[in-house]
Amino acid sequence: MFNQGGLSLDQAPPLSVVLRFFVTASIFGILLGLFLLSQSLNITTLSSYSTQLIIIHTLSLGIMASFMLGALFQMLPVLAGVVIKTPTTKAMIVHTLLSIGVLVQLFAFGISNNSLLFFLAAAYLGVALFYAIYLMLKELIKIKTHSSSSKGILFTLLSLIFTTIFGIYLLLTLGGFTSGVDFTQIKEIHYSFALFGWVSLLIVSVSFQVVEMFYVTPSYPKSISKYLTLTILELLILKTILIIFSFKSTSITAIVSILFLIYATITIDRLTQRKRPVADATVWFWLFGMALFILSMTITFIGSFLPIDSTLQHLSYIAFIGFALSIVFAMVYKIVPFLTWFHLSNQGYMEAPMMHDVIHPKKAKIHFYIHIITIAIWLLTTDITWLGSLLLTISFSWLFYNLTFAIRKYIYTQKHCEKIEW
Amino acid sequence: MIISSYLRGEHRECDELFTIAEKSVIDGDFEKAEKDFLLFSNDTLTHFKKEEEELFPTFEEITGSTEGPTKIMRYEHEQMRGLIGKMAEALEKKDKDAYLSIAESMMILLQQHNMKEEQMLYAMCDRTIPQDKKESIIETMKTIEF
Repeated sequence: MFNQGGLSLDQAPPLSVVLRFFVTASIFGILLGLFLLSQSLNITTLSSYSTQLIIIHTLSLGIMASFMLGALFQMLPVLAGVVIKTPTTKAMIVHTLLSIGVLVQLFAFGISNNSLLFFLAAAYLGVALFYAIYLMLKELIKIKTHSSSSKGILFTLLSLIFTTIFGIYLLLTLGGFTSGVDFTQIKEIHYSFALFGWVSLLIVSVSFQVVEMFYVTPSYPKSISKYLTLTILELLILKTILIIFSFKSTSITAIVSILFLIYATITIDRLTQRKRPVADATVWFWLFGMALFILSMTITFIGSFLPIDSTLQHLSYIAFIGFALSIVFAMVYKIVPFLTWFHLSNQGYMEAPMMHDVIHPKKAKIHFYIHIITIAIWLLTTDITWLGSLLLTISFSWLFYNLTFAIRKYIYTQKHCEKIEW
Repeated sequence: MIISSYLRGEHRECDELFTIAEKSVIDGDFEKAEKDFLLFSNDTLTHFKKEEEELFPTFEEITGSTEGPTKIMRYEHEQMRGLIGKMAEALEKKDKDAYLSIAESMMILLQQHNMKEEQMLYAMCDRTIPQDKKESIIETMKTIEF
């Protein structure tokens, strides 16, 4: 941790490393909102299968993977004590390949008979994700004494490997390059690793340190912080084996959902015991996100034993999306103002804008209100509505505005403020 | 693990005092906030002093390096001293928003700093410094005042 300095001195990755991912994620969010708006108003008419694939992958790759990879580039030094050397170039490579890959993939889903697009999507996304995994894993496996977060991130990246391998197989099958043996089973393995392994495990791993760090809460119980992430990964691998050998895997899904329910309940408990009295929007985002996680996992638990109707299924999906987005927004509204101040301050700008000058908590609160209304509308309506789509567009546009405001502040300070050379 | 246990305890005390001062500012009770803040800043600065005057030099002597973790920790202490000064200014002006804004940066910086110390530096000190030396360092640290 100390050899490279963590978040210290000039070793922290430049602001552009993380912001390029965050800005791109918010653009994908706006594009998703506009796409849904055009679908709801019948301006575009794609099949429901294509629409579904486009929505899922804009959310999971364009938005979530962009946010999460950006955050990882930034947070690995703090949470795991490892630094990726020459991060600017490496982040640029991952970011560019990922963004192109997502766009190509979305076009592949939207246009019929296009083997080449599927092949290109698999190639771009495969290279982007495996390169990012390689950069991070090769540093993480060198750690001798792991914290609960660094260990969790390691398992998260292993889950991303499985997600990517199976994802590539599915893309190549859709493009007609493989015969598609066990397509349905592979699809289930793919999304299990993506949702439970990659997205949820990363949030869990990061929360073990940031919840305590940002809000001064009691620590998570040792049994949870020490064993939860590994147990989930093992269960997902077991689930994969069961699916491959055509055994029933619903009991595994039930156990995973119970574990996440316990985790989410503890997180809410910890947040309500926070010592810091500040009730900023990021706390609300965390609490709202965890409540949605509980809703989603409760339905998943019930669904692993009983048949559930499409309305409940819809609730579970939207709640999960709402959970993931809530936590991402909570993180963004802490990370971006802090880093903007931190970098400018370290560069010697005595008048570096403080966190509230970069993104004022009121702006985050406005986003929170937009976000809860957006999620509420999506939970209450099973179809794609123009209102839900419009709200989603507004939500990401507001985030985009806040991020670009932070960037403008950063550039303005560098251009116009006095700098002290150390 | 006596170094870890003693200094970790001080971190938690500083956190506690920080949150008390922050609450007073949020409530708009600036008279109380000033007293609470003074307790926080005194405790935090005394803690820094203890580390810089006792623990770090011993660690540097044993490891033979002043360029390692202690250099970074000293640098971060300086950063936080700067923020404590700015928080005091905001308090003097009764500027609630400015105080809370600086406090936000302070808290993140402080917590990630504590995390590094607790997870790495204190553990390294407990491993490398002989027991009798550790006991005498703690005794001396207890006498240090700001």
